Amino acid sequence: MTYISAIGTYLPRLRLSRSAIASAVGWLGGGSGGKGTRSLAFWDEDSITMGVEAARQCLAQGGADQTALRQLVFATTTPVFREPQNASFVHAALRLQADCLTQDAGGTARSGLLALHQALEQASPALVVAADMPVTLAASAAEARSGDGAAAVLVGAGQPLLSYLGGVSMAAPLVDRYQASGHEAGVEWEERWLREEGFMTLMPQAIAAALQRANLSPDAIDCLVMPCPIAGCAPAVLKAAGLAKARLAPTLAQETGDTGSGHALLMLAHALGGMKAGETILLAQLGQGATVLVVQAQEGIADFKTGLAAQLSHGLVEDNYLKLVMFRGQLAWDRGLRGRTAVNEALSTSYRYHEALLGFVGGRCRETGRVQFPPSRLSASGTGFHLDTLDPYPLADAGGKVATFTADRLAFSRHPPNCYGLVDFNGGGRLMMDFTDPDAAGLSGGDDVRFVFRIKDMDERTGYRRYFWKAVSAHPAPPTTSD
Amino acid sequence: MASGIKDRVAVLSMGCSRFGERWDVGQEELMVEAYSEALTRAAIDPALIGAAWYSSHYDDIGAGKAGTPMAQALRLPDIGVTRVENFCAGGTEAFRGAVYAVASGAVDVALAMGVEKLKDTGFAGLPSASRGTFSPMYLPTHTNPGNFSQLAQSYAARHQIARTDLKRAMAHTSVKSHANAVDHPNAHLRKALTIDQVLNAPMVADPLGLFDCCPVSDGAACAIVTTPDIARALGRAPLVTIKAIQLVTSNGWEAQQPDWDGSYFHTARIAAKRAYQEAGISDPRTAIGLAELHDCFSITELVALEDLGLCDEGQAWRHMLDGWFDRDGRMPCQIDGGLKCFGHPVGASGLRMLYECWLQLSGQAGARQLASPHFALAHNLGGGPAQNVCSVALLGTC
Repeated sequence: MTYISAIGTYLPRLRLSRSAIASAVGWLGGGSGGKGTRSLAFWDEDSITMGVEAARQCLAQGGADQTALRQLVFATTTPVFREPQNASFVHAALRLQADCLTQDAGGTARSGLLALHQALEQASPALVVAADMPVTLAASAAEARSGDGAAAVLVGAGQPLLSYLGGVSMAAPLVDRYQASGHEAGVEWEERWLREEGFMTLMPQAIAAALQRANLSPDAIDCLVMPCPIAGCAPAVLKAAGLAKARLAPTLAQETGDTGSGHALLMLAHALGGMKAGETILLAQLGQGATVLVVQAQEGIADFKTGLAAQLSHGLVEDNYLKLVMFRGQLAWDRGLRGRTAVNEALSTSYRYHEALLGFVGGRCRETGRVQFPPSRLSASGTGFHLDTLDPYPLADAGGKVATFTADRLAFSRHPPNCYGLVDFNGGGRLMMDFTDPDAAGLSGGDDVRFVFRIKDMDERTGYRRYFWKAVSAHPAPPTTSD
Repeated sequence: MASGIKDRVAVLSMGCSRFGERWDVGQEELMVEAYSEALTRAAIDPALIGAAWYSSHYDDIGAGKAGTPMAQALRLPDIGVTRVENFCAGGTEAFRGAVYAVASGAVDVALAMGVEKLKDTGFAGLPSASRGTFSPMYLPTHTNPGNFSQLAQSYAARHQIARTDLKRAMAHTSVKSHANAVDHPNAHLRKALTIDQVLNAPMVADPLGLFDCCPVSDGAACAIVTTPDIARALGRAPLVTIKAIQLVTSNGWEAQQPDWDGSYFHTARIAAKRAYQEAGISDPRTAIGLAELHDCFSITELVALEDLGLCDEGQAWRHMLDGWFDRDGRMPCQIDGGLKCFGHPVGASGLRMLYECWLQLSGQAGARQLASPHFALAHNLGGGPAQNVCSVALLGTC
């Protein structure tokens, strides 16, 4: 029997208040009544970076031998690149084995669950990463409803957290929304149609089929995890499917909004917080058909610690709607001449140093013990001649301390001031690094930092972007609350 | 142990253009301005010049690469022109090349020129320099105010200097340089400032406000150097010779290892020690009559004073407030206004500093003339505190 052994999640820190959306575009009908918040990726986050962070958290839950991983699927409806493969960046950032089948999945918000279904139906250990950062039209219902976030699930490696009892994926050309190639944002159809034909018809059929595969009756189910944006619809599905004793997992609509391909997994991570061993869960999502997976909590559930609670509580409420449209590149703004510098792609350079740049692997000198980044043939030990004495030394999880800090108002930044400084790695070595996050300017010398995978820079003319690691506070400031 | 270059080369003459926002000229005219002054002062036939060094940093907005822009602008007599580039220390680097050429005996007369045409970028401050393909993939987008603000914070932390004290000392540093430049016809900024104006200026990178930063300027400066014998034969008196030139380049230790605390310049300390040794100076505080420091930011001047041993560690801010480095103080610094007010055309600055040193030592500084200095120091820095090129040059009367 296959199983899920770990679940990681990632939410960007910003929570755009729907009242701010309503203030800005309510006159056009936007803002969806102005309740709660939606998660908002910072300017240097995208589906790849959020996916990496969720996967790091997932893999950090322990018990799994990363070298056993042979598959990585990256599911998103908002891929950064049509080409190259997005999963290859996630793979490199996680420093997984080269002998690994990497694959992008997409096309539907159900792609995360589809990838999970596939992983659970076969034997070799796999990592499923799902992340989305939808671009929506100003004042659309989707703008207020959606959120940015990611989740990752480890299958078949380490100790069972949730055993897989069976599942089904059904296809149907029910196109409730679409986004054609070359179009910036999607088009959505009427909710009532989706409710009746999708949630009230397709979904109960899929649930029944999944229960049959799992050889369970509807009343054996304790919890239904099902993203559903339509008010009052989920309880009706519960009833229509005959799930008599099942409770509904919270949708997180008021906190994050619908985070797309990772949302069912995000809701699952949240629901596992109060779960007991033996409880049975239906994991369900619509999207040109439906996927329903039946899983059962194992003994390990008692020790399961999701990072989601901390991610939810450390959000920073943002009341400036313009950050959404400007971060998404939907509004041209004056960057000044300093913001016009072209990004030199130098793809051969990127590849030559990909372990350093994407994996954040430095070097440690065998003769002096000194750590350095980037690695070099001659050790940066200060004195002596130490040739080819460096062993690879991963730094992504090392953390460090701020040695020097500046908040620079002259340098170009998409979220001024540009914050950077020297970071001393725990364990040795130092590097001048970018500090990111909305509250980066609050850092100062001596502060503990950890490292996150982010967009280094972007070239809007070509669409090219590259990634590197940045420092964020290891102890973020207390959360703010919305008025 | 090398014997060094003390007194083996003399300054025959120097020249310096007007610095500033020179919308009226390009780099070619700037070079001609400096060169024609030097040549007039030297009163020699240009055909005597045997080799030339040319410093310019921003080739994309300036004159272009290689030695040809200088050879063509100055119509040099079919000699070798070597283009050098070492961040903001390029001017001294060009001077070093010319001095070494004469000291080696390869040529009798050599020319060093620094020039930068910065005001064709369309914005304030320095343009970002080309850094190859790899390092932009991991280093932050940084500016010099950002880099040097870190120096200020680390300096204050190491010596436990209250922010208000440091801000006042930095303000005094700028106010002093503004006062020095007011009457200098070739200076970029010729307006006196008050301490309060500096303290209340807009913040650029905390704690550096606008008036803690030098301007970027258009300008050129040059030197013609020769052997002491030739200089004497041409009637130079007093003779100004090169006592020492030392240059140290960061090898990555400060930027890659946590041993350095960010509060000082590792390179400057080494360069200064070697320079004093080369010049045979045991007590720089009494021997040196004036210093031209690389005051790209007010904090740089304060920290350099300590690195060069011109005052005790952790005390520069206090002595600056006491007026030690004012025009009438113990050791006048930036008597011509420095980078802060005379201006900072990157590749020319080192030669501009040497120009003022030469004028003072040879008694040609006019209203700025100090009472008979015997040694003058030029401290030229390129790059940021964590990774830089630092030179210390000493000129003196012979």
